[in-house]
Amino acid sequence: MNQTGQITEEPLGDIEVTTSDVERVERALIDASTRLPVMVFYASAIAWLLVSTFFGILTTIKLFWPDLFPNVAFLTWGRIQPVHWDSLIYGWGCMAGIGTAIWLMARLCRTTLRHPLVLIAGAALWNLGVLMGLLGVLGGANTGYEWLEFPGFSALTLFVSYLLVLTWGLVMFRYRRRGHIYITQWYLLGAFLWFPWLYASAQVMLFILPVEGVMKAAVNWWFANNLLFLWFGSIGLGTAYYMIPKVIGRPVHSYYLAAIGFWSFALFSSWTGMMRLIDGPFPAWMITASIAAMILTIIPVATVGLNHHMTMRDHFPLMRYSPTLRFTVFGAIAYTAFSIVGVIISLRSMARIVSFSEATVGWTYMGLYAFFTMVIFGSMYYIVPRLVGREWRYASLIKLHFWASAYGIGLTVLLLLVGGFVQGLSLNDATLPFAESTQSILPYLRGRTLAWILLTVSHLVFAFHFGLMLLGFGRTASVPTFLNPLEGKSGGAH
Amino acid sequence: MKGLQSIFLGIFGIFAFSWVGMTLVPQLQIGSLNPQSDEEGTDVYPAPTSGMAVRGAQVYAENGCFYCHSQQVRPDYGGSDLERKWGDRRSAPRDYIFQPIVLLGKTRLGPDLANVGHRPALQEKAAAPATGAEPGASPTASTSVAANEAKAAPSGSPSPPIVSASPAASVAPPPATASAAASASPVPGAPATLPAAGSQPAVNVPTSAPAMVADTIALTSEGNPLPYTAAWHHRHLYDPRSIVPESNMPSYRFLYQKRRVGAVPSANSINFAGAHPNESDENWEIVPSYDAKCLVAYLMSLDQSHPLKEAKSALTVAAAPAKEAQK
Repeated sequence: MNQTGQITEEPLGDIEVTTSDVERVERALIDASTRLPVMVFYASAIAWLLVSTFFGILTTIKLFWPDLFPNVAFLTWGRIQPVHWDSLIYGWGCMAGIGTAIWLMARLCRTTLRHPLVLIAGAALWNLGVLMGLLGVLGGANTGYEWLEFPGFSALTLFVSYLLVLTWGLVMFRYRRRGHIYITQWYLLGAFLWFPWLYASAQVMLFILPVEGVMKAAVNWWFANNLLFLWFGSIGLGTAYYMIPKVIGRPVHSYYLAAIGFWSFALFSSWTGMMRLIDGPFPAWMITASIAAMILTIIPVATVGLNHHMTMRDHFPLMRYSPTLRFTVFGAIAYTAFSIVGVIISLRSMARIVSFSEATVGWTYMGLYAFFTMVIFGSMYYIVPRLVGREWRYASLIKLHFWASAYGIGLTVLLLLVGGFVQGLSLNDATLPFAESTQSILPYLRGRTLAWILLTVSHLVFAFHFGLMLLGFGRTASVPTFLNPLEGKSGGAH
Repeated sequence: MKGLQSIFLGIFGIFAFSWVGMTLVPQLQIGSLNPQSDEEGTDVYPAPTSGMAVRGAQVYAENGCFYCHSQQVRPDYGGSDLERKWGDRRSAPRDYIFQPIVLLGKTRLGPDLANVGHRPALQEKAAAPATGAEPGASPTASTSVAANEAKAAPSGSPSPPIVSASPAASVAPPPATASAAASASPVPGAPATLPAAGSQPAVNVPTSAPAMVADTIALTSEGNPLPYTAAWHHRHLYDPRSIVPESNMPSYRFLYQKRRVGAVPSANSINFAGAHPNESDENWEIVPSYDAKCLVAYLMSLDQSHPLKEAKSALTVAAAPAKEAQK
């Protein structure tokens, strides 16, 4: 063990550092101990992703075909829209994020996972909570607050389930092997500790001891933006900080940049909630503070982006081969784009045009999908083979998954941002009738359905491929599945 | 920085900073506002939402209306909300203190609804000359009395649980806003169904005129219900495109029952005025469910037209009619 706190130790790949046989066995043992809980979380997440995809494509269709199923209450647009988002957030995002976080935590703490049953019980409860919540929303129990639509009994189930996961995570951290705490662990610790505080205070302030009037909306968006940044953002960034150095086999470029990035990220992004309500009925200082915080997130974005870029320097060609790297780098770049777009739509001059348009929806997709989901896909391509002891079966399916989701989400975001801007311009022109603004975005919304067909293909392909792995149909090979045949490169750059 | 303690402290400290700054301090500042009243303690605003409107807010939330409709009017420097006549002034925190669910919304695939309950009063002014001759348009004695009683009641306890009386009682809309009403219509297509209101001389009808009474359906010259009245809302919810052809709002047919006409046709049934051939079978009528009535009661309770000290607009409510009349 390196006791000097040398950061370069952990993320090094298998190739460049000659790991001793002992460490190799140790890793295999750790991976084996995480197999069951992580796979349970992953499998559930992918099932919810398919649910979300189904409702997602239905919402896009119903926007320009409003007379579809007019007599069916639970298929009305205002019910399937929250089901789409909540299954994406709580079903897919949280479960996949927790799965990856468990694995990373075990690896980085260098300790085998203890009490896996606690985690499996947590996963079961979480599934139950999401299922009850989605059925509740479909049945008409929406609470009226975005991203918190789940009725109380479902929220309580989720919270109890989360406490199981959190307890486990802290126990794991407690029993970690002494040594340096890697930057990924900072992000994961932050995410693990922020989420319960965030979720509990939102629930208490909205439903148990409700605050008055517009404070409910302020709490709502404080919660939503913090969920996006502090929970999904932390897990996504932490994962990227692990995967990129690991795959290319060189240490993070600068540890100090990473530390600055972490603290400034947490400090500034946790204040951005009110950028969703610019010029709303609130004291001006709240909104100004959020806009200022949003602008200041440029600091963590620049440091994190620079750090990843410098780490990747001269290694970008590896994206040609490694599925993990390709997805992760896509996500890391999307994080930069997400933050820059966030700053732009927060500026007052821009907000007055786009703040009630579909552009804000596009921005949310950038954070939740183009950044977080793509990073998590990347981590799954890395982790799953290590858990099931098989390699991914078809490189062609991975490539199809990547391109379909990259084009799908790219198109979705582009259409919503551009369409939202056009919609906002006509919304703001009071000489135009209101319906003109809705008409102006309809072509873009039709286009979004095409984008969602691409995303549907990508998710079905991925679910199929994951199913093959789960059922033991992966390849038995000593080298990972590369996207393209290696051209004179030595193996190992998975 | 690298110690474990400082990491934990930092993680907690930063989040506590955000929690205090973005929720606790604002809560202390705007978390316990009281209704505003004048020196004599009368003219209290806002009034608690009550009765069917509370249930209506739940119906509004559970069917996800707030994903497309906002309920907040931005100030004049923050967009064209005031120019679109979605309100006389910007929304302020005090407007929402009694809202059972605060549904500010943040997307506008449909128009803003912060003042949708105020619009029928304006429409009534606009259309009164044209619809006065309609048989059903004159107020029935009972509804007039109910509305007047509600208006006379101490204003701390308005909003009787009657769909019709609530909006009329809680606001006394200024007279002679005819041109404002005509240009206020946020729905294209609707202006075509309106009479040429701007050119009509404004007639000062009683403010309790029950255009919004469900069973006394005021009609435009083309046979459609007057915009934003209860009858209009019901028909619009049932079949949005029968009123606004280019609308992409979902139809909420599941909130309505289609049933055989009994011995006496229901007074609440939706009036399609021949505009809906599929539903014009005389043996059948379409009646709103309790939830639909609550939803409409809620919509008609949405009204931020009362002046607020902290949210003065360029056009105060008193000045607005005068300015409009000069145009």
